[in-house]
Amino acid sequence: MAQIDHFITRRGLIATAAASVLAGPSFVTHALAVTPANAAAWTKAAYEQAMRESGRPVTLTDTQFDAIQKRRPAALKRIESYLQERLGSADPAVLAAFAAVPREYFHYQYPEHHATPGEAYEDIPKPWALGYGSALSDYLGQAYMTQVCQPKPGDITLEIGTGSGFQSSLLSRIVKDSYSIEIIEPLGKAVARIFAPLGYQNVHTKVGDGYYGWPEVAGGFDIIIVTCAATFVPQNLLKQMKPGGRMVIPIGQPFKRGQMLYVYTKDEDGKVHSKRDMGVFFIPMTGVIARNQRPRDE
Amino acid sequence: MKLLPLFLVSFATVGYETALTRYFAVAKWSEYGYWVISIVMVGFALSGVVLALWRDAFARNGDRLLAILPPVLVAAAAAGYYLVTINPFNPLQLQNPATWQPQLLNIGLYYAALLPFFFLAGLFISLNFVLNAERIGRVYAYDLTGAGAGAGGVLLAMFAVHAFQLVPLMLVPLAASALFVTRRWRFRSAGMALLALLAGEAGLLTDPQAAFNDFKAIYAPLHTQDAKVVAEVLSPRGDYLLLDDFQERVDTDISNNAGMMGLGGPPQTYGLYRDGNRVTALPKAGNWDVGYAPATLDALPYYLIPNARVLLVGASGGFRVRQALALGATKVRVLEPEPVLADALLFGMGPSPPLPVNPAVHVAAEGPLAEPPGIRDIVDISADFLDTAEANVSAFSAEAIAGYLDGMPPGGIVSIPVSIRDFPVYALRMLATVRAGLLAAGISDPAMHAVVYRSAWSVRILLSVATWDQARLATVRAFCDERSFDVSWYPGMNVEAARAKLYNDLPRISFALGEVQATGPDDAIADEAEAILSGRDTPSAASFNLSAITLDRPFFYAALRLDQLGTILRRLEILPQQEVGALVNLAVLAQALLIAVLVLLVPLAARRRLIRQREEGQREEGQGEEGQGEEGQSSVLRAVFYFPALGLGFLFIEIFLIEKASVWLNDRTSGFALVLTAMLMFSGLGSLAAERLAKSPRRAMVVICGVVLIWVVLVLVWLQPLILGSLAWSWMERAGALLAVVASVSIFLGLPFPLGLTRAGSGGLLPWAWGLNGAFSVVATPLANLIAREAGFDRVLLCAAILYGIALLTFPVMRISPTWPKSTTSLPAAD
Repeated sequence: MAQIDHFITRRGLIATAAASVLAGPSFVTHALAVTPANAAAWTKAAYEQAMRESGRPVTLTDTQFDAIQKRRPAALKRIESYLQERLGSADPAVLAAFAAVPREYFHYQYPEHHATPGEAYEDIPKPWALGYGSALSDYLGQAYMTQVCQPKPGDITLEIGTGSGFQSSLLSRIVKDSYSIEIIEPLGKAVARIFAPLGYQNVHTKVGDGYYGWPEVAGGFDIIIVTCAATFVPQNLLKQMKPGGRMVIPIGQPFKRGQMLYVYTKDEDGKVHSKRDMGVFFIPMTGVIARNQRPRDE
Repeated sequence: MKLLPLFLVSFATVGYETALTRYFAVAKWSEYGYWVISIVMVGFALSGVVLALWRDAFARNGDRLLAILPPVLVAAAAAGYYLVTINPFNPLQLQNPATWQPQLLNIGLYYAALLPFFFLAGLFISLNFVLNAERIGRVYAYDLTGAGAGAGGVLLAMFAVHAFQLVPLMLVPLAASALFVTRRWRFRSAGMALLALLAGEAGLLTDPQAAFNDFKAIYAPLHTQDAKVVAEVLSPRGDYLLLDDFQERVDTDISNNAGMMGLGGPPQTYGLYRDGNRVTALPKAGNWDVGYAPATLDALPYYLIPNARVLLVGASGGFRVRQALALGATKVRVLEPEPVLADALLFGMGPSPPLPVNPAVHVAAEGPLAEPPGIRDIVDISADFLDTAEANVSAFSAEAIAGYLDGMPPGGIVSIPVSIRDFPVYALRMLATVRAGLLAAGISDPAMHAVVYRSAWSVRILLSVATWDQARLATVRAFCDERSFDVSWYPGMNVEAARAKLYNDLPRISFALGEVQATGPDDAIADEAEAILSGRDTPSAASFNLSAITLDRPFFYAALRLDQLGTILRRLEILPQQEVGALVNLAVLAQALLIAVLVLLVPLAARRRLIRQREEGQREEGQGEEGQGEEGQSSVLRAVFYFPALGLGFLFIEIFLIEKASVWLNDRTSGFALVLTAMLMFSGLGSLAAERLAKSPRRAMVVICGVVLIWVVLVLVWLQPLILGSLAWSWMERAGALLAVVASVSIFLGLPFPLGLTRAGSGGLLPWAWGLNGAFSVVATPLANLIAREAGFDRVLLCAAILYGIALLTFPVMRISPTWPKSTTSLPAAD
């Protein structure tokens, strides 16, 4: 466990994220370049220890673990390309967070107590069932949503629908504090145990009704993500959104790839504005223009 | 007695099939219950083919087989259901291009689990036809009345038995059929059936695997801390659960500015679920707080017309009634046609109290089509009304909209909700329907009589008999501005200018190209509203079905253009669940056509064999002569058209009648049950007359088809006016009238099949004809649905008339008219 703490610490990642913002676009390459170092730190023993400490013991062979890690750089590259294509650029902080969080740790079938790390970093990104009606969304969709949230160091975030815990972990590598509420009791209780073994001390979870938000957090939230099936926007969440803050609500059935989102913002008068973001399924016009303007190879 | 096992097996088979569709509706989604019907008919068709090819071998061992099959059927039914319940099929993953492949295997496993039972059941039934070829009419009567009784029986059972327990119940009549097999085998058959029954029941009841899919709406609330079921209602409409869990509250679209307006949110409630899908919120005792009402999207009409007299269509568990009163309504007539919801309003449900008695409120358990024209200032359709019952779609038809305006004061308002959570195009299609309704009401310029406003998630369309004056439009704008809602259309609106001040950006997209087409803030509904209301083509019409919803085409969730299947499949992931049914329908149709072609190919592959069997059969019956080869080939060709035409025509009429019955009884479930049971029973009774008519079958066919054609003409001309004119009758009166309509044609529809089978003789042609009929029956259901969706239910009925015309022209001919011999040596001894 000490080994994990040493290499994957909140402070280290915040520093990395901050550096990425300062470094600008060139950091994208750097973030990917440092990935092998992180990957090396994240050993099989560290993985197994963290899994054991989170109440989900599992044993992998070296070959199995190495095979997972080998797929990781390609997945990170895929994320970078995807964000560039869909949003015009890839946020270095988002890329760094993806590079830091070991996704295979979150592949788990909770009702069956069955770890499925071999599914991580798949070539064709897809959602994976976790049990209890929850799914680990595909990593491209999560990358897209994370970047749309525009997380920054110092932000306080709230997620409604903890699910696998991956989204909260991802945000926690960028922001100051990441709060998350899970409505399904057995899933929420099980996932609540998985953050400490990774040293993610700034992830705070509870089981309860996301409708009320987390009013105990003074000052509200910069970013709110509602990943459970929302019918309408809870008033309490809007109240807890800081002026200038963003609320992101993915819509549609759980097993779709990527996300179709509602993005809410609060203006200076406190009035709320929304935008239906179709960016994942429907190419934005700006993207079309950008591609059309690209000079031909010949 | 001899045919009693046939009656019981038919009873149990239909009951089993219905039970499986209920299992799929509850455990998965109802769209996928459709597969069951297709598996049934594949099994039946295959059994017909097998029996046709090896008729002699089966007939030689007929007695023994009829005795062996009941216990085998019990075992196959129990094992099949168990395998179905442990199948991990996830419909949501089927919609994802990255995860669909394993789901195909799961669908294959459903076939593997269920085909044995339906194949064996088909074999049992068709073997009865072969072994009792001299009594085809009687065999058919037992088959149909058994099926009719099974349909009625299982529907009655649904009042007392949970959907997951229906299959174990159906094993009992299946096992009971062994008690009536031929005496020689009875003891052994009954003993084995009892053993199979006990083993099956033990397996299914002691280790039940049926459960809600993890991703159904009920799953999360059921697994919250301290969640509990506080009331349960079982009915053929569905299994209702009332949940007490901490996340239940009134589901309504409230302004994002409610906090700024000093208003709170909706109160905590119970949650009512039907088959795992949320229906509505029901109040907790003493918690009717509707202080949030002024912030709701629904509230605008009440600001435009203070102290209104309101016709409220759908009560949303009573909360809409309380909201209307809180917003100043002086009189509220509430229509709640869904029986369980109506009962909850009037009498409460479990710990949930009824709507408090108030002289200003009157609740009627009927639909809006039954409502006579009257003085009402506001007709307000609740946002959840569409999805609380299938028959409620009629409230959104052009005919209904014209009816709402009938008798309304000039300043009165009709308020129609549309959810745009999945597709904004639903609002555009509703606008096309609104235009048709306004035109039908005699308003020639619909765009001048409509106002459209919305939140991010929902649209409200307001209609007024009078044109909108500036004062009222100012109220509309002020109402929306205060709540961060957007006005998408009002007469004289400058759409371009409005884009600069949007609260809820709703970009235009091209479904075909997969591109967002707006470069700045946009309102996809505002972009096309005026054109649609004025009857002009719009860009969305190129990709979506924007035809008006009518009583002839009563499909709300039919926005997809099926002629653009490639595009639809590319966008499969984002399709709303309700649209998936049309795609499943297409898949079932494709599969059914494939099976039908295979069944049709049998006579081509084994024509000589079938004809030889037929001639041998006729010689056994003393009807045939040597050298009838050409005649035999002609019969095969005629059968290729005759039996499919009957299979299609019968089902087309049935599906048409089920749709009309849904409107007439204002309830799809009772409409379905009544039509299905009555058609099977009355056609079964009608088939008994086949023996008497066999002396002059051609003349009989002319009379039968003539009656069917006349009935079709009368129904096309008179049924709709009769239905609309009698909606205020009591349920019993309407059901009686429906039965008269159904019975009048069903009696005759039961005759052509046994008359044709009689002509096919007792050889291999008979079971093949039976298989053909079965194969095309399964083609009929998805095909009729497709025709209805694309062209309307009247066209389905017209097609049925044409099919019976084809049947008349291709009625199988024989040189020698058949007689009805008393018995033959090949038949099992009668009990």
